[in-house]
Amino acid sequence: MSAAAPAIAVRDLCKNFGHFQAVKRISFEVAPGEIVGFLGPNGAGKTTTIKMITGLLKITSGAVLINGLDNREHLAAIKKKIGYMSQKFSLYHLLTAQENIEFFGGISGLAPRELKASVARMGEQVAAAVLRQKIQDVPPGIRQKVALFVCLLPEPEIILLDEPTSGVDPEARRLFWSEIYGLKKRGKTLLVSTHNLDEAEYCDRIIIIHNGEIVAAGAPDELLRQKGKASIEELFKDAIQEHGQD
Amino acid sequence: MGRIKAIIVKEFYHILRDPRSLTMVFITPLVMIFILGYSVSYDLTRIDAAVIDLSQSRLSKQLVQAFAANRVFVVQTRGSAPGRTLSLGEAEEMLRRRKVKEIIIIPADLSRRLASGGQAEIGLVIDGSDTNIANLVYQYSERILLDFNAGLMGSEPLLKLDTKIYFNPETRSQFFFIPGLVAVILLMISAMLTSLSISRERESGSIALLFISPLRSREIIVGKTIPYTIVALLDGVVILLFARFWFGIPLRGSLLVLLLFALLYIVSGLALGILISTSAPTQRVAMLATLLSTMLPSFLLSGFIFPLDSLSPVLRAISYVIPATYFLRIIRGVVLKGAELQHFLFEGGMLIVLSMVLLAAATRKFNRQRKAAQ
Repeated sequence: MSAAAPAIAVRDLCKNFGHFQAVKRISFEVAPGEIVGFLGPNGAGKTTTIKMITGLLKITSGAVLINGLDNREHLAAIKKKIGYMSQKFSLYHLLTAQENIEFFGGISGLAPRELKASVARMGEQVAAAVLRQKIQDVPPGIRQKVALFVCLLPEPEIILLDEPTSGVDPEARRLFWSEIYGLKKRGKTLLVSTHNLDEAEYCDRIIIIHNGEIVAAGAPDELLRQKGKASIEELFKDAIQEHGQD
Repeated sequence: MGRIKAIIVKEFYHILRDPRSLTMVFITPLVMIFILGYSVSYDLTRIDAAVIDLSQSRLSKQLVQAFAANRVFVVQTRGSAPGRTLSLGEAEEMLRRRKVKEIIIIPADLSRRLASGGQAEIGLVIDGSDTNIANLVYQYSERILLDFNAGLMGSEPLLKLDTKIYFNPETRSQFFFIPGLVAVILLMISAMLTSLSISRERESGSIALLFISPLRSREIIVGKTIPYTIVALLDGVVILLFARFWFGIPLRGSLLVLLLFALLYIVSGLALGILISTSAPTQRVAMLATLLSTMLPSFLLSGFIFPLDSLSPVLRAISYVIPATYFLRIIRGVVLKGAELQHFLFEGGMLIVLSMVLLAAATRKFNRQRKAAQ
């Protein structure tokens, strides 16, 4: 961990929905330029935590600091630093890829010239015909590519990707992760949630969350060595059993 | 039996644990019976009448007095110039501007005709743009004349009514209903457009991306409102053309004036839709809430079917905050009477006020909802 303020610092974060405690006093940090995998089964609390980090969900207790700034007090400034790709929705399906880029670029305040350049950049990555297709008619892999591109339009420093590879075939997933590496090289900080345990190998560190609690955290190799496990899957099963399954 | 029991128990759980169903079952009927109980009435509480007394005789003054003494009639005999009686032109303008519902014309030779043992005709000019009210006005006026005739003690009625219906001489109910339907449908469609648009964003999760963007709430609302204003206005043109060419509804006034007011009316509907969407978690709920909150008041409390004069004071007060109340007057006035822009300055002003209030409320609620999440 560098001496600079962590890009993301989560401190004793809790989220209650009525009597149900979705996130139970979790704490972790993500250093600038790091890729952290947020692993856990469905309903573990990954999306809830990411939504609290983005400011989309009210924090019950605890705090989230982005580059040292509390997200409840400096949300407007923080919004300019973070990019978010939601699990549920990332693109308008009735709009073409180009129209989605123009829309999300437009609401991020990109000038028409920058928008045009962005569309051209996307055109270098996918076939020109794809740009003019409605997103609902585009294959999931390309859709994810466009969604990530759109998320990066405002050039955020910190990128939160919520289950970006769900429903995507293995080849498209591999390509997607190579893009994530590209972002790391450009100095971006990434927190990527997933329930695909094999994606842990792509991350600098992983945080395993289960029933709203962090059950393991660290560099994948280090964790495997510490726990004497051969795979992340074994490590994951073991960590969940240790903390009791609900 | 056990299987049926399981279904029965499960359904009761659903009913009891779903506040919306419970509200629909118990509150909606009470609200409906309350509104309908007070609005389903054809009793007029006030009929403004302009009287042109060309006779100025003792008998004509008694007749005017008979109308004035009736608790329903409010009689106006004076013209705009001091000391002058009303002229026909002035009275017709009052009829066009909805200041009066009828003109009573007493002929100059009233006394002479009766003195010579003949009959006299009392002219009655009624605003036919609302056929229901026109019928009621006729009935009320006829009753007063019958009573007056009884007092004159002739073997036959000495005074007869010579009735003319202005603006809708054939008293075709379509002339009355279709402009009203245009008003109701336009409000419903406008509100539906925005309420579905925002609840669709909420349902799909896309609203999160708007919330996380640097967009301000008012920017989202303005951005949502402008395209739907254009769509709804085009829709309004289509509906009006259909009413004109399919149903043969005349357009005696200016289409431009009508569209100008329609624009204000549509904005109020769109703002209402946004307001509804802030409380609707799904598109289905938004659609139902929009239908109920636009159709019900517009049908019952805007003067579309039941005259506003027949409403209880509470419901009458509610009618003042229903956009359809004002647009209905405008569309009937422009379409049937050929009324012009200056005749509806109050109604236009009220539509602006309602649109502003609804837009402010919608923005405030939308913003509060956005902040509540954060």
